[in-house]
Amino acid sequence: MTSIADGSRASGRAETMGVWFVVKKTLRKPQFWFGFTMIVPLLIWYWIFSFWPIIQAFRMSTVAYKLLDPGNSPFVGLGNFIKISQHPLFWVSVKNTILWAVYSFIFNLPLAMLIAVFLSKVKRGRNVYQALIFVPVVVSLVAVSLLFKMVMDPEVGQLNKLLSTIGLPELQWLSSSSSALPTAVVIATWKGLGFFVVILTAGMLNIPSELYDAALVDGTNPWQQFWRITMPLMSHTILLVTVLLAIGSLQEFTLPTVLFGSEGGPGNSTFLYNLLVYQEAFLDIRFGTATAASLFQFAFILTISILQIKLIRPSWTY
Amino acid sequence: MAVVSKAGDARRQPPRRIEISQNVMHIFLLGMVVIAIFPFIWMVFASLKPFKELVESRALLPETWTLRNYEEILGRVNFYAAFRNSIVSAVSVTVVSVYTSSVMGYIFSKYRFVGKEILFTIVLSTMMVPFAVIMVPLYITIANSFGLADNLGGIIVTGFYTAFGIFLMRQFMESIPFELIDAARIDGASEWRIFFTLVLPMSMSPMSALAVFVFLVNWDSFLWPLIVLSSQDKQTLPLVLAGLRNLWWTRYEMWAAGSMLTVIPVMAIYSFASRYFIRGIAMTGLKA
Repeated sequence: MTSIADGSRASGRAETMGVWFVVKKTLRKPQFWFGFTMIVPLLIWYWIFSFWPIIQAFRMSTVAYKLLDPGNSPFVGLGNFIKISQHPLFWVSVKNTILWAVYSFIFNLPLAMLIAVFLSKVKRGRNVYQALIFVPVVVSLVAVSLLFKMVMDPEVGQLNKLLSTIGLPELQWLSSSSSALPTAVVIATWKGLGFFVVILTAGMLNIPSELYDAALVDGTNPWQQFWRITMPLMSHTILLVTVLLAIGSLQEFTLPTVLFGSEGGPGNSTFLYNLLVYQEAFLDIRFGTATAASLFQFAFILTISILQIKLIRPSWTY
Repeated sequence: MAVVSKAGDARRQPPRRIEISQNVMHIFLLGMVVIAIFPFIWMVFASLKPFKELVESRALLPETWTLRNYEEILGRVNFYAAFRNSIVSAVSVTVVSVYTSSVMGYIFSKYRFVGKEILFTIVLSTMMVPFAVIMVPLYITIANSFGLADNLGGIIVTGFYTAFGIFLMRQFMESIPFELIDAARIDGASEWRIFFTLVLPMSMSPMSALAVFVFLVNWDSFLWPLIVLSSQDKQTLPLVLAGLRNLWWTRYEMWAAGSMLTVIPVMAIYSFASRYFIRGIAMTGLKA
């Protein structure tokens, strides 16, 4: 970040002209002053609110953080990482979070793909359908949580009333430890599906229609068209959606917290990893172990994202 | 003549075209629309029912229409303050970060300087860091260095730059030709003038897309405000709404009324600007 130059005839003659000349020339450029006044605040801001906290996180994870005298916090090495992995709810939360992510994929991806395929093929009303399917994305997540907690109340909720009216057995939904997690993911899917539908539909509409016309002339059926044209040409968009889904569901916090409070559902069945980090940090005020826990999450999300990119990209791209 | 040639075409084509009929697609999509908006419609009517009717009746429409839920909730909970806090924080974060994203996207796309690629990579890589990693150190920074604990400023200043926004705007600015900017320079326009009167007007479409995206995320933001804001009158709508759970443990008609108060403003905007919302999300998907 030393010089902002036009670049066209920048570094080649720099040595012969002398450093001072280059600096003076740069300082005279209007581009330099515009860039300088814009980038410097960004750098300061990023340093304070992004880079510095990240560096601090790595440092804090290795000390027993003293709230009143942080400078003198004793170094404990990997102690915090060992301590958090021995937390009674650590493995529970890891298991729940992975389950949450897996359910998210199963519920979101096939359904969003199907809706997107239909939306891209339908001849009339596409915008209206899209606008209405997108409505849950706009509704506040906290309101969605409360809404479904009401509707799914096992005693007085409308869903069980509806089930008993049409003669089906009533279910426990959010109130039993076996069904709370999948039910919560269903709610998350209801809320988030429209987002992925819009992204996927936009990707599909980007595929030139000549390809489908040609395929039709060749006598292919919709199934073949989907796997031979849509999927390969959508690989980039699908990759984006899977990465977004993974990153989002591995960091889920709001929905389980509003549905059940910070203790996470019947029998801790929806106690997710981010609830553990939050509890450790702001309820039990153990900053060291909390940041250690969050770094585990960081490593995991990074690995998953890289794996997804490596696994999905080469196999489909044309 | 025309009829004959059409019939000739049909004979040459493969005997049976298997296509999903438009009707099947319409029925399926209508079903999805019902699933997407019916719970919401149910909530509208639930907020207008007395408690007893809400838990006992199976009917969608209320027998006794009442606005008492709204009266009671506005009397007990300071929704006005929450609404103001949400608007102030979401709007200021949106305005500032869309502006900074455009400037930075422009500079990263059209300027050349030492260390540009490295800087861009570093900025982007912060996107990969989960929020949980920085939330504790960030809270300490906000609370101790800036004295912004339990202050709306604490959730605003952290949102002034978004790595995602910079990335998105840079992707768009790549499509603006260098020649255009050079021509303006030759005509004697200052860098500021070029940016504000040439580049910005050309970027309205991705900027509005980004604005919608940033606004939605911040309007709905929960974890960070939960950490920063503690006193009642400082809290944003999602926090106040989540607090209803503890205030009225099973008074669902209150939950419904409170949810409606939170949802109505955004739905009102959405009802006439849905096109921009959808285009915004679609564009972020295509550019990312």
